Amino acid sequence: MTGLFHFANLVRAGIRDNQLLWMLVAGFALFPLFTHFADLPFWNDVAMRIMLLGVAAMGLNLVLGYGGMVSFGHAAFIGIGAYCVGISQFFGLSNGLFHILLSIGVCGALGLVIGYLALRTTGIYFIMITLAFAQMLFFLFVSLEQFGGDDGMSIDRADFLIIDLYEPLRLYFLIWVALALVALLLMFIVRSRFGVTLRAIKSNESRIEAMGLVPLHFKITSYVISAMICGLAGTLFASWQEYVSPDIMHWTRSGELMIIIILGGIGTLAGPLLGAIVFLLLEEFLPVALGAVAPAYAENWMILFGPLLIMVVLFGRGGLVGLLDKAIFSRIFRRRMAVK
Amino acid sequence: MRKLVTICAVTAALTAMPAIADTVKIGYMTTLSGGAGIIGKQMQNAVNLAMQHKGGKLGGMDAEIIYADDQRKPDIAKQLANRLLKSDRVDIVAGVIWSNLLMAIHKPVTRAGNLLISSNAGPSPIAGDQCHENFFSMSWQNDQTPEAMGKHMQDAGIKSVYLMAPNYQAGKDMLAGVKRYYKGNVVGEVYTKLGQSDFQAELSALRAAKPETTMIFQPGGMGINFVKQWKQAGMDQVSKLYTVFSVDGVSLPALKDSALGILGTQTWSPDLDNPINKKFVADYKAQFGGYPSFYAAQAYDTILAIDYAIAKSGSKETAKMRAALASGDIPTTRGNLKMNTNHFPIQNIYLRETVKDADGVVTTKVIGTVFNNHADSYAVNCKF
Amino acid sequence: MTLTLILEQIFNGLQAGVTLFLVAAGLTLILGIMDFVFLAHGAQVMIGAYAAAAITQATGNFFVGLGLAIPVTFASGYLLELLIIRHLYQRDHMEQVLATFGLILFFNEAIRIGFGPAALYSDLPESISGFVEILPETPYPAYRLGVIAIGLICALAIHLFVSKTRIGAMVRAGANNPEMTAALGINIKILFRLIFATGACLAGVAGMMLGPLTSVQPGMGEPLLILSLVVIIIGGIGSVRGAFIAAIIVGLVDTLGRVFLPSILRLFFEQATADGAGPALASMLVYILMAVVLIFRPTGLFPAKG
Repeated sequence: MTGLFHFANLVRAGIRDNQLLWMLVAGFALFPLFTHFADLPFWNDVAMRIMLLGVAAMGLNLVLGYGGMVSFGHAAFIGIGAYCVGISQFFGLSNGLFHILLSIGVCGALGLVIGYLALRTTGIYFIMITLAFAQMLFFLFVSLEQFGGDDGMSIDRADFLIIDLYEPLRLYFLIWVALALVALLLMFIVRSRFGVTLRAIKSNESRIEAMGLVPLHFKITSYVISAMICGLAGTLFASWQEYVSPDIMHWTRSGELMIIIILGGIGTLAGPLLGAIVFLLLEEFLPVALGAVAPAYAENWMILFGPLLIMVVLFGRGGLVGLLDKAIFSRIFRRRMAVK
Repeated sequence: MRKLVTICAVTAALTAMPAIADTVKIGYMTTLSGGAGIIGKQMQNAVNLAMQHKGGKLGGMDAEIIYADDQRKPDIAKQLANRLLKSDRVDIVAGVIWSNLLMAIHKPVTRAGNLLISSNAGPSPIAGDQCHENFFSMSWQNDQTPEAMGKHMQDAGIKSVYLMAPNYQAGKDMLAGVKRYYKGNVVGEVYTKLGQSDFQAELSALRAAKPETTMIFQPGGMGINFVKQWKQAGMDQVSKLYTVFSVDGVSLPALKDSALGILGTQTWSPDLDNPINKKFVADYKAQFGGYPSFYAAQAYDTILAIDYAIAKSGSKETAKMRAALASGDIPTTRGNLKMNTNHFPIQNIYLRETVKDADGVVTTKVIGTVFNNHADSYAVNCKF
Repeated sequence: MTLTLILEQIFNGLQAGVTLFLVAAGLTLILGIMDFVFLAHGAQVMIGAYAAAAITQATGNFFVGLGLAIPVTFASGYLLELLIIRHLYQRDHMEQVLATFGLILFFNEAIRIGFGPAALYSDLPESISGFVEILPETPYPAYRLGVIAIGLICALAIHLFVSKTRIGAMVRAGANNPEMTAALGINIKILFRLIFATGACLAGVAGMMLGPLTSVQPGMGEPLLILSLVVIIIGGIGSVRGAFIAAIIVGLVDTLGRVFLPSILRLFFEQATADGAGPALASMLVYILMAVVLIFRPTGLFPAKG
């Protein structure tokens, strides 16, 4: 009897998290319909930015949420993905598919090297060494004058042969496809034996070692995969922004990614995307809200944002996914259980 | 008969009257929040002042300014540019403090068929091979001011100079600009860390090199730090300090007397003697307390330029305004400005010294003109 | 490049290191004993600098400003711990990062609203603007020598306190094994609060001393925070001795690297490459140092735990 109850709980947790993710992904697919009829074409841009941030956050969540590795350096992979587009175009190579393959390759290789070196440490030391590598890459790109240095490079959208990214909504759906594919990939990884082992390593590494497995292999593999996902996000981001600069890989961007994941719910499937949505919407609306209430202080909207983050930590265990779980889903489920 | 004539006259009069006044919408993008918010604030003050002076109408049309805070991030700038164009349907996008943000929004705005007018940033690609006819600068090209510095030092027969700037694109451009005109002995060329706050080590090395003059580019907080430490280390005894973009209306309130005597080159100074500038500076001081910086003056000029473009062309259509600006004699706080073929201003560059005014407030004063009607070095690469 | 220049630069490096130590000392204790990632430590530096500058402007006396700013910063650290920080000890590092990041945003904006976004005016009073000839023909600002002196005195005081007093022993025990220390009946709550307040105070002192030298503006503490994190990682978390040695090393490497690296590179490469790569490498130098240390000693040079 208790066994059945535990199983129901497990299924309940899995279904809900996963369902939320697919609801959000489907929502993004339908969103352009809404903006078309509401005549708000600008909001497609916001949605694209949210999706891209969501993809990057999902990549980081693999190592951070599921693997327990707090990497402060993932913005560097986004940046490298973006620069793959920029530098390729600088040399006349404008094929989009080439950009994507190049960026996945480069980020994977770099992820392997950095992961191998950094994963010799743990805890706060790991955080700092990933920060160090990210800073080094940042200063490297700032010093590359032929690629604009910190002034960056203006670039064109990638050329995908049959698809013209300058047509409205083409880029939107390309990004959406990437989002859906990454969501699928993560769902698959998390449920696979690899994913289960990774999560077990997060909670008790020595037990896994005792079982005869090598935790380092799992950690590095997940690190490389997450680097490649972030690289993909960066590549598409470059096409959206039509501009690349070292700003993308500043360590504060990594911090933003972490905030998004924690906001949404660490170690959940839907958390990163949900966090990206809320974070960017806050960025849009907090200044407006503050401007309406106290116009003289409109620029100081971050004074609301800071305490908001603190409150999320103090009162919102498990992030937004956790909150939604408590507020909505468990109530529905409990009611159903009662009916049976 | 009389009635017919009256009706005809009235009809003629009615059709001759202009249609209900069009509104010109301007999207003004600057950094209002965060660390550099002070600069954006000054620019916003100046734009509001300009609108006040023009009675809310530009070129006879009602004007609406929509402010956008870019938070100094290129992706937010890009998103804001999209919103201003697609959602708010502005006619002109203006402002932009930073070169990297301008690079990010340059193509999208100009390609959409709207005018982009920069109140500050002026990176060389936009002046040269990546230029676009819909772009206009109401400030300067980044290299012009340091070029003037180099020329002054060359003309003044200065024998040795020590150059210092932060290690980023603007820093490198500044020192390259100086070296374009200064042919004397450069005894040191040091690139400091961006955001560096303590220059004691660099000052020690400087003292050992004993250059006749020291030329620095250290914008924002870095400039405040450097000048303070320069004075505290007694470096005035060792070398004469020249600056570009480091001592201005934003940093002087924090430096006060420690900036006295420092020389620099700039395209504008609060004491420039023309009616527009006198009115601007006086009213800015009265309303906002304190001298405006060059950022504010350029923002003010941006609005004046839009007013001129609409008045001269009689319309807010991009092509017509463009023609008016490109060929015109635009009245600004720097006198009448003409545009170069790449739509950057041809203007004078002055040598200024930091002094105390009659009320004891520290400000800059023009003590000479280095370049008359100077054009930037990148126009030759620009072909529309 | 003369010997006197090299010696003078070593002095500069010492001064930078000592200032870093003041910030890092508090941080390493907070992280080591309370296991709390306190990202807002840079904000404490800023609070100290603003307190000193504002009181100096109000009273017209620099030393009064310094004197009164010290209890102000101690109080701010004490209040912060009491109101917010102590609720976060049980949370994991990620949530602490998020919460303290929110604190940074809050403090920066609060200062911006209270004092305006422009940098505050702060300068050295005439009385201490003199020079001391530390080496032949090398006038060195007396104030900076004072900073070195104060920093060293603080370091000595902390060392004596931690190693010779009973409370110091509790602090060391707490750094080594917090659970055991609490189990021994020591009032961990008050201990934590005092450690936190003292750490904030030290950071504030660093800010106060830097105020006249640098620009007092919102966010001025952040660069110091990053460097201090590097310092405590190299030194080993929880160890004040490690923080001191690492701070001096980092101060020296950063200073000497900045001024001598381009010249050193010029010996091996042509000028254009050296001038291009030199400054870039110099900014990375401290991070490279940290990465190297971590690769060989994954828990720093003098870790407090084990």
